Amino acid sequence: MASLASTGPAVRVLDCGDSAVRVVVDAPDSDAAWRTAHALAALLRQDAPDGLLGALPTYDSLLVEFDCVRTDHAGIRGRIAALVDRVDGVPLRVPRTFRVPVAYGGFHGPDLDAVAAMLDLSAAEVIARHTAEPLLIRCFGSPAGAPMMDGPAFGAPIPRLASPRPHVPAGAVAVAGRQAVVSACPAPGGWQILGTTPLRLVDPSHEPLSAYLPGDSLHFYPIPESEFEAHRGALS
Amino acid sequence: MTGRVRVTTAGISSVTDLGRSAGGAVGQMTGGALDQYSARAANALVAAPPQAPLIEIVAADFAATTSANLLVALTGAPADVAVNGVPMRQWEPFWWPAGTELSVRSIRLGMRVYLAVHGTLDVPKLLGSCAPDSVLGFSGPLHRDDTIGVEPGPLRIFHSHLGIPVVRGAVQPPRFTDHWRIPVTDGPDRDEFGASAHRLHAGRFVIGNHSNHIGLRLTPVGGARLPVREHHGEVLSRGVPIGAVEVPAGDELLILHRGRGVTAGYPVLAVVTATGLSRLGQARPGQSVEFVRVGLGEAVAAARAEQAAIDRLTRRLARLMSAHDHRGSTASIPDSRPVPSEFEQLSTSS
Repeated sequence: MASLASTGPAVRVLDCGDSAVRVVVDAPDSDAAWRTAHALAALLRQDAPDGLLGALPTYDSLLVEFDCVRTDHAGIRGRIAALVDRVDGVPLRVPRTFRVPVAYGGFHGPDLDAVAAMLDLSAAEVIARHTAEPLLIRCFGSPAGAPMMDGPAFGAPIPRLASPRPHVPAGAVAVAGRQAVVSACPAPGGWQILGTTPLRLVDPSHEPLSAYLPGDSLHFYPIPESEFEAHRGALS
Repeated sequence: MTGRVRVTTAGISSVTDLGRSAGGAVGQMTGGALDQYSARAANALVAAPPQAPLIEIVAADFAATTSANLLVALTGAPADVAVNGVPMRQWEPFWWPAGTELSVRSIRLGMRVYLAVHGTLDVPKLLGSCAPDSVLGFSGPLHRDDTIGVEPGPLRIFHSHLGIPVVRGAVQPPRFTDHWRIPVTDGPDRDEFGASAHRLHAGRFVIGNHSNHIGLRLTPVGGARLPVREHHGEVLSRGVPIGAVEVPAGDELLILHRGRGVTAGYPVLAVVTATGLSRLGQARPGQSVEFVRVGLGEAVAAARAEQAAIDRLTRRLARLMSAHDHRGSTASIPDSRPVPSEFEQLSTSS
């Protein structure tokens, strides 16, 4: 549990069963913690010790999975301690911004009016705020690697639905709390759906499965419902 | 591919492997055989690589025909395995001759049987794995009349008097039971459950019907009680390990298995060990589970002991194959023999 003594960022390595550890970054602000978690994951993948299965960073932490027959906690902890000093030197990938068409409201966005009422805004004002700036992708989320984004500047957190929908289609553009997401596959969901994009974000017939990575951004823009079919395709 | 396996009774079956470990980094489930031990053993018994595709047969009867002579091995839960009605033994290889039907019926005590082939099953892969992903919609269950291309491996001889003694008893089936004792280590968030964390180890929990490859749902029985979360802070989404024991809604335990979503925001009370996850991959709804608290060292040692037996078998078979290469013998199909009862006795003795 003790912080690793080093000049690099402070991280805590917590045992997570016989085949994983959780690395938690203690940083003065959440943005620095996020950058460190993702840089450390990248370093682990580049310089993978034998038996490493994967490194999955989210916000202020990463899960490191390994085969405990081929390595062990001490070996993985040692590698993390050695790499954490180098995270500041990780070259930043040039982030991409993807333009994402969205049919807002009505059939495609059943919660747009409710969200507008919560925020004491018009539906048009909600759309304007949701499309004003590109939204930063923090991590891959569940299910199926959906892009988990910082939410738009609504000024207040958005409550989840009192009762989740059993079926939310792929492409649903939704918000909850201070976060935003686009559904990658059909699944149950409790987030408020503002609209739907005709673009396919995750495609199992194609590698890589998704064009985006954490650090990229999605910049939404409104399209009329009549143009929905014309915009079908893969995010690129 | 020189051969084809045609499914004649699909039941609930699919072609899978040890899972998509590269999926987690891009938010995809790991998936793969839920009983990793039995799957690894099946491939080792036919001298196939650990990650080779194999067929996972879940609970219901399965049958298939082959157009090529195949050396196969079936592991996992006890079942009635036969070739054209002649009973065959599990946990050792046998020949499945071209033109015959292999059947797997009456799977009992456990849930999953694995069918491995000496050779290569030709199936699509995603990120290095053929494991179906039910969420992403990659691959999926086998259906009646589906065919799978198969390239038989180099081993054309596996003499009943030469080959079978080398592998007989080399890997043991796990103990099958209606009352599973599953080892768990403390999770990183155990403190959030305060003193109630001990309840996990103080009674029995029964496996609910809504359990699958994503996770098992269990409720306490016979006076057992659920641990209760004492801290209710907002938790940022983070990666959760396979085997995570959570109490998400407060009314049941959730144990995440290989099909889990890779991120969640619930505290991880405990984590089922690697060997325990293989056992849970066999546990059926209605069976009960006790969670035995073990240390990390004990958990790792158990995983290594299971793998060591498989590795010994792999080395023995490699030597046999190398000797066979030097002799250049002709194909030999051993006599079909009735099934002796040791496996049944072994399986039900726990």
